Amino acid sequence: MATPLTFAIPKGRILDEALPVMERAGVVPERAFHDKGNRSLTFATTREDLRLIRVRAFDVATFVAHGAAQAGIVGSDVIEEFDYSDLYAPVDLDIGHCRLSLAAPADVPEAGAGASHMRVATKYPNLTRRWFERQGIQAECVKLNGAMEIAPALGLARRIVDLVSTGRTLAENGLEERDVIMQVSARLIVNRAALKTDPRVGELVERFRAIASGPEGA
Amino acid sequence: MTDPDDLLPEGLQDRLPAEAARMTAAMRGALDVLDSHGYDRVRPPLVEFEQSLAGRMDGVRPRRMFRFVDPASLRTLALRSDMTPQVGRIAATRLAAAPRPLRLSYAGEVVTISADQLDPSRQRLQLGAELVGSDGAEAVGEVVAVALEALAAAGARGISIDFTMPDLVDTLAAEALPVPADRIEAIRRELDMKDAGALREAGGEGYVPLLYAAGDFDEAIARVAALDEGGVLESRIAGLRRAAERVPAGVRCTLDPTERHGFEYQSWFGFTLYAVGARGSVGRGGTYCIRGSEERATGFSLYLDALPAADAGEAPREALFLPLGHDREVAARLRAIGWRTVAALAEGEDARALGCSHRLEGSEAVAVEA
Repeated sequence: MATPLTFAIPKGRILDEALPVMERAGVVPERAFHDKGNRSLTFATTREDLRLIRVRAFDVATFVAHGAAQAGIVGSDVIEEFDYSDLYAPVDLDIGHCRLSLAAPADVPEAGAGASHMRVATKYPNLTRRWFERQGIQAECVKLNGAMEIAPALGLARRIVDLVSTGRTLAENGLEERDVIMQVSARLIVNRAALKTDPRVGELVERFRAIASGPEGA
Repeated sequence: MTDPDDLLPEGLQDRLPAEAARMTAAMRGALDVLDSHGYDRVRPPLVEFEQSLAGRMDGVRPRRMFRFVDPASLRTLALRSDMTPQVGRIAATRLAAAPRPLRLSYAGEVVTISADQLDPSRQRLQLGAELVGSDGAEAVGEVVAVALEALAAAGARGISIDFTMPDLVDTLAAEALPVPADRIEAIRRELDMKDAGALREAGGEGYVPLLYAAGDFDEAIARVAALDEGGVLESRIAGLRRAAERVPAGVRCTLDPTERHGFEYQSWFGFTLYAVGARGSVGRGGTYCIRGSEERATGFSLYLDALPAADAGEAPREALFLPLGHDREVAARLRAIGWRTVAALAEGEDARALGCSHRLEGSEAVAVEA
């Protein structure tokens, strides 16, 4: 087959940890990839039939779900937020660990204390709404794309749902972590139809699986 | 400028001549295959009572249908979102006395009130066949073979078929790999996502090997067989092997025992069809039970709009321009041997501009200069 596979990886947080894992699976980007000045979005790899695209984390899931990219790496937070039916997340790469949590300033009462409605600022409106529904609360989500932490201080919403790794950013903005909604780690994702129809995608999954289940550094 | 009212609602589209011709040809090719295998075509209506559409099979979701109140009966009507329950109704009622196995085929438009996440279209052309009265290995083999032949006749290339075992988790959970009832749904979900880590967390440790039993059919079925210590899957595995024998050379055959995507009403066997150039699947089928008559059946559906458009390099069709005052009998004779004619309505019409490759002069078809 002449058509190259496209592998989508997110900018930012996960990338540095993902590169060594990808390398062990035989996905090695060309040198231009590491050049900070390079503005390209597509990169060749050492494999002729494989190219990389570097996009925003949420777009990794969208590209793969639509089959525009056949595989990619993205956090489980993004996978849960979209809940795309055409996406498989076959391998937990055990990198990019953090958690998705509900946070609020100290003076805000506990969630569920008689409230049936509340306003939450988040990058994850679907996930947040579903989680609050399970607590019997109707959450009105204000979708923000970043800097959720300032929302409570400015009166946009009293609670936020955001990724937490050390908790420092929350503390610096006078917020307390209240509930952990989910533990997050990076996953290999693949497109359902591509996995079924292209043997190369299955091989890629097998290779990442071998790394994830094998001893560290093997 | 186009008046916004002239635009179509989201997810609906016009099929202009080239595309309409392609779809008609695909439909005709596939229906001819079904007819040649003894499947009689039925034409159920577009609209039915919601209850009869929803109750005929497990897993049909009325919320996905356009529904409204019938001014005549004051009952809720629904536009069909899937023709299979309609064929099930016909088999269970009007054709209840017809000899079994009963072979029926159908083709028509179906609509859903909301598009799914990835495919914006709300109307699709569904074509399929149902073999009512049997869900055994022989029936499954026939349906697989007919479905592949119909799909090829519809113009699909690079076809692959993926087998699945829709009731696998229920079967295993009953005895071989018992799990608490409240865990089954979580286990199904994680199997569906193929997420080994989450599957273990959900208490499905014993099911993890199933994730690795997916891939090319021969290898995958051997792995499923190796897992089946108690032999509860023995008949299913044998049935799958016989179905795989009916897959012709040149069609890739894979097995994914835990796939459940789109198998809302299937029982022991299901399959998904893919073709090169089509986004997502182009059809699916399997075994199921018709509610009401509790009859077993096997069938499949193709979604022809999912097939990619033919190559742009395809030569345009030939057509014969008939000038004013031409000999009508000659024209009729030429049509009878396969010519497509376009008759002039006024002097001075340009044969070429009207898409004609030839022009009738006397009783001869003469090529038009480009």
